[in-house]
Order: sequence, then C-alpha cells, then structure tokens
Amino acid sequence: MSNDISAGQFSIDELENVQITIGKIVGAIEKTAEKEGLEAGPTPKPGISDLRDWDYKLLSRYQPVYTPACDQCCYCTFGKCDLGSNKEGACGINMEAHQAREFLLRVITGAAAHAGHGRHMLHHLIDLHGRDHLINVGPSNLLAPNTQAVTGIAPETLGDLEEVMDYVEEQLTQLLATIHVGQEGAAIDFESKAMHGGMLDHVGMEVSDIAQISCMGMPKSDPEAPLAEIGMGCIDSTKPVLLVIGHNVAGVTNIMDYIQDHNLEDKMELAGLCCTAIDMTRYQMEHGGKPQAKIIGSLAKELKMIRSGVPDVIVVDEQCVRADVLDEAKKLSIPVITTNDKIMYGLPNRSKDNATVIIEELSTFKEPGALILDFDLLANVSVELAIKMSKIRDEMGITALPTEEELQELSAKCVQCGACEMDCPDNLPIMAAMKAGEGKDFSNFEYLHDKCIACGRCDQACPKEIPILNMIEGASQKLIREERGFMRAGRGQISDPEIREEGVNLVLGTTPGIVAMVGCSNYPDGTKDLYTVADEMLKRNYIVLMSGCSAMDLGMYKNENGETLYEKYPAKFLAGNLINVGSCVSNAHITGTAIKVAAIFAQRKISGNYEEIADYITNRVGAVGVAWGAYSQKASSIATGCNRLGIPVVVGPHGSKYRRALIGKPYQEEDWKVYDARNGSEMPIPSSPEFLLTTAETIEELLPMLAKNCIRPSDNNMGRMIKLTHYMELSKKYLGHMPEDWYKFVRTETDLPLAKREELLKILEKDHGWEIDWKRKKILSGPTMKSDVSAQPTNVKRLCKGEC
Amino acid sequence: MVDTTKNTQIYTTWGRKTAKPVNPNVAGKMIVKAKRPLLVIGSEILNSDHSLVEKTIAIAKKGIPVAATGHSITALVDKDIDAKYINVHSLGHFLGDEKWSGLDGQGSYDTILFLGHKKYYLDQVLSGLKNFTDLKTIAIERHFMQNATLSFGNLKPEVHLEALDEFIENL
Repeated sequence: MSNDISAGQFSIDELENVQITIGKIVGAIEKTAEKEGLEAGPTPKPGISDLRDWDYKLLSRYQPVYTPACDQCCYCTFGKCDLGSNKEGACGINMEAHQAREFLLRVITGAAAHAGHGRHMLHHLIDLHGRDHLINVGPSNLLAPNTQAVTGIAPETLGDLEEVMDYVEEQLTQLLATIHVGQEGAAIDFESKAMHGGMLDHVGMEVSDIAQISCMGMPKSDPEAPLAEIGMGCIDSTKPVLLVIGHNVAGVTNIMDYIQDHNLEDKMELAGLCCTAIDMTRYQMEHGGKPQAKIIGSLAKELKMIRSGVPDVIVVDEQCVRADVLDEAKKLSIPVITTNDKIMYGLPNRSKDNATVIIEELSTFKEPGALILDFDLLANVSVELAIKMSKIRDEMGITALPTEEELQELSAKCVQCGACEMDCPDNLPIMAAMKAGEGKDFSNFEYLHDKCIACGRCDQACPKEIPILNMIEGASQKLIREERGFMRAGRGQISDPEIREEGVNLVLGTTPGIVAMVGCSNYPDGTKDLYTVADEMLKRNYIVLMSGCSAMDLGMYKNENGETLYEKYPAKFLAGNLINVGSCVSNAHITGTAIKVAAIFAQRKISGNYEEIADYITNRVGAVGVAWGAYSQKASSIATGCNRLGIPVVVGPHGSKYRRALIGKPYQEEDWKVYDARNGSEMPIPSSPEFLLTTAETIEELLPMLAKNCIRPSDNNMGRMIKLTHYMELSKKYLGHMPEDWYKFVRTETDLPLAKREELLKILEKDHGWEIDWKRKKILSGPTMKSDVSAQPTNVKRLCKGEC
Repeated sequence: MVDTTKNTQIYTTWGRKTAKPVNPNVAGKMIVKAKRPLLVIGSEILNSDHSLVEKTIAIAKKGIPVAATGHSITALVDKDIDAKYINVHSLGHFLGDEKWSGLDGQGSYDTILFLGHKKYYLDQVLSGLKNFTDLKTIAIERHFMQNATLSFGNLKPEVHLEALDEFIENL
C-alpha cells in the first residue's frame, strides 16, 4: 500500500472538508530517481558530516591560513577572552578554532541571506503562479545542477523547490547551532562546516534564480540578451526619478508593470542600484526588447546617488542596502518605502492603508517613509508619489551638492590633520585634494571619484565637519554626466547544448579556462581594474563569466571606439566570449556550469553524487573565480561554495579581512599527488590550483595568477601549451619577469610554447639539469610528471577501479 | 634624528598585544643583529615619485634578500639585488612553516621587515604572523602597524622618507 502513496494533497470523498497532505516520504528521492532512470548517488541531502571526508582531502592540501581581525572573542559572558598567540579562552576554544568559527559564521550569514531571498521569492511566485508552475530555464534537461548534485532532487515545478529549501534551511539551522559556545572545538571541523554552508548557498541561490527566471519572463540561457543602460549619467533628472535599491526584485516587478500599464515609461525614470537593478533589466526580456529600467551601479554608488539629490522616492528591498538610507534621504526630502521584513527602518506598516492617504502623508513629510508589504499597493504609491515629489522637490529648490564657490570655501576649512585619510578604507589622498581645492583646482577630487567607494567614513572622521563625500561628488559632476555604458542583461544558465559543444575544450585545456568575475564593489583601485582584467583574459580566449556588481561595473568603461566589453565580445559559452549570468543569486549558474561539464560532457552521475562531481571538477575544469571587490558575507559563502567543488577563488586585498584563506604549499611534494582511477596508483600532479581562497594585491599580480591556476592535471599537450604560454606572457607583461616555477608544469616538450620551444629547452638543460635530445628536440629526463591524456586523476580512492 | 614613535593611533584591527613603536636607528640595529632577515616589499612603492623604490634598493644593497609582493617586482628586476616575486598571503603562510626553505632554498627567516604595503592588507598578514608564529616583524611603513613586533608610528610622507634614510644609515 505504502508503495502507491505519493507526496501532495488529496481529499477523501466520504469525509467532508477534510484534506490530507502528505509531505515527505522516506526514500522518496531514491524512488523517484529510480523511476526516472537516474541512479541516486551516495549522499542525497547530505548532513553536516556526510561530505566531511571530501573536505578533509581538500583541507589537507589547502591549509587554512588565519589572519584575525581581532585577537579577542566576545561571544559569551565568560569573556572577553584574549586569544592572542593562539591562546585558549575561558570556554577552551583557541584562536585557530575561533577564527574558523568566525569564517563559518560569515559563510552561513551569506548563505542565509540568499536562502532567505530564495524562500521569499518562492513564496511570492507560488502565490502568483501555483505549485505546479513548470521550471523553465532554457534549452536544458538538467534544470538545477547544484540542487540535483546536492539533494538528489531533480525539480520540475515550483512546488518541487519547496522541499529543496526545507533542506537548505534545516542544514543552515544545524550549522548556526555549532557557532554557540560549547559546541565544536576543532578548527578543521569548523572549516568542513563552512564548506557545507558554502555548498548550501549555491543551492539556495539556484532556487531563487531558476524560480524567477521561470516566472518573470527573464532571458533563458540567451546569448543575445539585450543591453541595458548603466551609469549615473544615463538618468534624466528633469523627470520624476524612482530609485530602487537591493537584491530582491519581487515587489519591483509590480512597479514596472504599473509604469507600463499607465504608459509612464517616457514620463519618469526607474533606476536601480545593486542586484535589483540587474534583475529589473531581465524582467520580461526573454523575447528581447529594450529594458525599461536603468542601472545606476553597485553599492559604491548608493550614497553618491542619494546625496546627488536626484531620486524623488527611494524603494528598498533587501541585502546590500545601507543602514542610513532613511537618514540620508530625509535630509534631502526624499521619502523612503521599505518593502521587505528584512529592512523596515522603524517605519510604520502601511500595507493595509489607502494609497491616496499614504501619498498625502509622505508628500507632506508627516512621515519620512512607510513599510509597504503589499506589492500592488507599493506600485501605486511609489510611482504616483515619485511623480508628485518631483514637482514638490523642484519647487523646494533642493540642491544637494556644493557649488564651485562652496567647494573652495570648504577646502579652505581643512586643517590637514589627516583624520579622513587614516579612516578611509583605502587611505585615499584627500588632504592633497583639499589643498589644491583651496586654489580652485578640483581635479584631485575627480581622481578620488572613481576610487572612492562612498562609505562616508571620511565625513564621520573630519573634526571640521567638512562633507568630504559631497565635495568629491560635487567636483565630479562633469565626469558623472559622462558615466554611461551598457551591461548585457543577465542570461541565466549555460544551457546543456552549450556544455556539450564546449566541455571537451575546457577539460583538455584547449579553451584555456573560465574566469568568473563575481561580486561586490570594494575595489582597491577603482572599477577600471575589472575592465582591464576581463579584456586581457578575453583577448586570450578565456571564457569570462560575470555576475552581480562586477557585471555592472564592467559595463561602465569603454574602449577607444566607445564600446563597452559587452558590445565588443559575443556572449556564447565559447572561448573568448563574455557572459553575464545575472545577479548575485545567478552565481549558482557558474558552479552549475562546472557541474554540468561533469554531468553532461563526462556523463558522471549527478543526483546526490556531490563528492564525485566535485572531484571531477577539481581535477579537470580549469576555472578560477575572482571576487575583486568582495566585501559581504555573501561573497564569502559564494566563494566557499566554489571551493568545495575545487574551484579556486581570488579576492582583492580587502578580502584579507575575511581573516581566512586556503593556501597550498607547492614545495611540499606529497600534497600534489592523486590516484589514477584506472588502477589506483598514485600520480603526481601540478601544483595548480595553488590555493582555494587567497588574495592578490593588484591586478598586475592577479592576471598571471589566473592563467597559472587554470592549469589542471587533465590538460592535453595542446591545452597545457596554451595555458603555459598565457602564464609566461602575463608574468612578463605584468610582473616584468619569467615566472620562477614555469618548468614545473612541463611534462614533455610538446607542453612548451611552440615559438619559444628551443629557447626554453636550453633553459631547462642549463638551469634545471634536464636532459635534452637536441637532434629530435625532445626531453629525455627531468619532468616529475608524465603526459598521459588517458589518466583518470581522482582524489577519491573509492572511485578507482577495483575499489568499489 | 627622526622620532617615529609619537603617533600610534590604531585604525584597523584590535588586540591586546600591540607593536612597540620604534625609532629608525633601533630598527636598523635590529636588522643588523638578525641572523636571517627578509625585506618584504609591497606594490605601494610604485606609487607617486618612486622614492620608496630607491629606499628599497638601498636596503637590499645592504645584503638583505627581498620578497617582492604584489607587482613590486617590476621596479626591482635588473637592479643587482636579490629580489623574488611571491604573493604576500602565501608568504605569510610559508613563513610560519619550519619546513619551508625560503625564497632561495637557504632556510627559514627570523626577522621580517615590511615596506610599501597597503595598510589594511599588511595588517592582516601581520596578524597571522603575530598570532601563529614566533617571528620578529618590523614595519617601517608610513602607518603604525599594531600587529608587528615593532613599528614606526603614523608619519607624514616627508617624515617617513627621512626616517627611512636614517634606518638605512644604521644598517
């Protein structure tokens, strides 16, 4: 009898008003998999300890490097405890374990932000479309690679995603419990838990994005996704301006519909900051067209945009929204509407009130803003209020930024104490700008404009209360007017057919690698760095994937022909192509791509088979993530989710403040061995990737690191030659020298760049003592590794022949 | 004589054990006494007028090997000094490993000198060294680096250059 029961709701005729709901059935995943011809792997819905062995393998090669941001632990009232020099605190935890715990906390905070977003989005879309609404992400059979590899569930409908979220939330609760005093004591197990949290994050993100792609008419693996306008300069401030900030586009789509239904597209500006902006440009764009909304940019533009005084109304949803939006907006008579219970700013809940009354009260400043959780009401109020406020604020003559005269006066007030520079996260040269400003030379402020991330700490530090950020922005108005570019709207997943076409090149290395530039805007040296890195790697035929704030900022720069990189490079999943997968939650499609290479190209079982998939990616898929401006907890969870799959991530120098890296020791030969799955024998591999998470100081350092860390054991000779060429050339170009370790990646003479083969053979003979047959130009002895394209490198003994 | 010990205001991380402020002559003598010193250089030496490049070369010419982090190596190639590129985060990891034979294969280091780094970045690297190694670290930066063993205080650029000259004289 129990064999016939399935999950779902049903009624019994004889029992009036009785509905029976059957939730989960023990063994249901395995049974469904069997029915669909899928074989469930060993770890469907893994618990905290189920993938621990895999984590330990990774962590033995890539050891945690702890760099505490604070030497104390303040978690409980036994303390504060000084853990300096790895001492133990009152509860017995030492510095090492506490730092691992701190990192875990960051990872699960980030994962919870995405999962909370995903659950909210799922509720919202199920309310609108029902549980049976089909998932449709484009021409793919593998709809949810992260979800399927982790949970074993192959979701087909929105309703199927609820069970996935149940799993993610339950696991996040279990992980959060381990942060409590008196729980875990071993750093390595906190690390394994962090890996678990990172993996869950990619499932949560995937749910969020495939749900919205399926229901909101977003591009579906579309290489021709439209270009959207980006930049503060693309906003016509003579029109009413409605600014939205955050990551969750659910309520904003109602605003967009309202604008369209009332033919207001040309009469007002709808502008967005952060990932909500990206998702606005995806909304209803699956058949092409011109995105209605405009993108201002990343978090670094948030305070700048508000202080410009241009917005007439601000709507916020969740994540990456400054805590002082309401205070800043109040100063410039801009009403604020909060729309999500994660951010409410102490505002009254007006969700059940009349739109006309709310508009009247906000436009007469009886209240500085409102919480509105009903999205139809939100649309009505925010749009009509923006139109009304535009006129009112014009009449009030609100001027936000200083004039030239005021700039000079303010510059003269500076006493050159240096407090601003010391407090500036990047120690930017503010004093020099003030000195020059006194003589009416404001060019130094323009220099600061792009480098400044608009955190506003300089304002807080100044003993003379000089509004430094306003001065930077006031002096940079000409630059800001010219800030216009294009970003390709996020296309979502890489489709199954694309993987079939390109997978072989990635695994053999003839496409030299994937560089995924993701995340936030805490760049140490301005946004142009992103452009430089992407352009250099694209010219070298790497596939460059973009997401989130990096995807936006990339569109801000133009080449000498006036083109952005999105206009210059095509957007297919092929070598030398530039793809924007979408917003923050679209990061799941980057790991999803690697999983698809294993599942589709290599035909590995995927359902609940995470370890084998991760092992395949670790040894064969040359991909490196770059989170150059990573600042958030979410960035750490995204990176850690990549790490568990063996995908290395480089963060910018500010990323050192995550206080934990995972770095290998190339000089420790025993760490760089794997099994050959054909017979279980040990085989040496190149020390690449050298790390799973590390920092680079500058893009000049970063570029050769990217090329080197795309090298994988599975490269064929052509692939290794291509990768080695890029590594050498980029080292020469950006570091001015040949890399010291290039020879360690050479297995045979055909791995050497063709044009320099003879020259390099001479160096191998002279400097490294390798034996060369000069007649045949062949290496006779020297390399520590053999070139064998049939080898099956694996870190997992059970996957070797004869072990199972 | 430059007094580099006055302003030790801390702007970044916090800990009970903080650097002792040091004057250039004392820092110089510490390096002279070290058995195996290493100078770790960051990319900030490339900024402005390259005066920090000159100071770096002058220190290295006194026979101190250089770990060139970031892309600082670009200013140090072909300068007849012993300079090698390494990532500073990796270097921080390896320095704590007794099995690491150093940049030149000659063994581990005992005193590490830092110049030309982003303040917040170096502060993290030094935090790792302070908490997990016994190495002596000396910051001759413009900013007070509280996670070093010894550090100059917060200095104006021109005073910093003067202090470096005095430091070099004492090597």
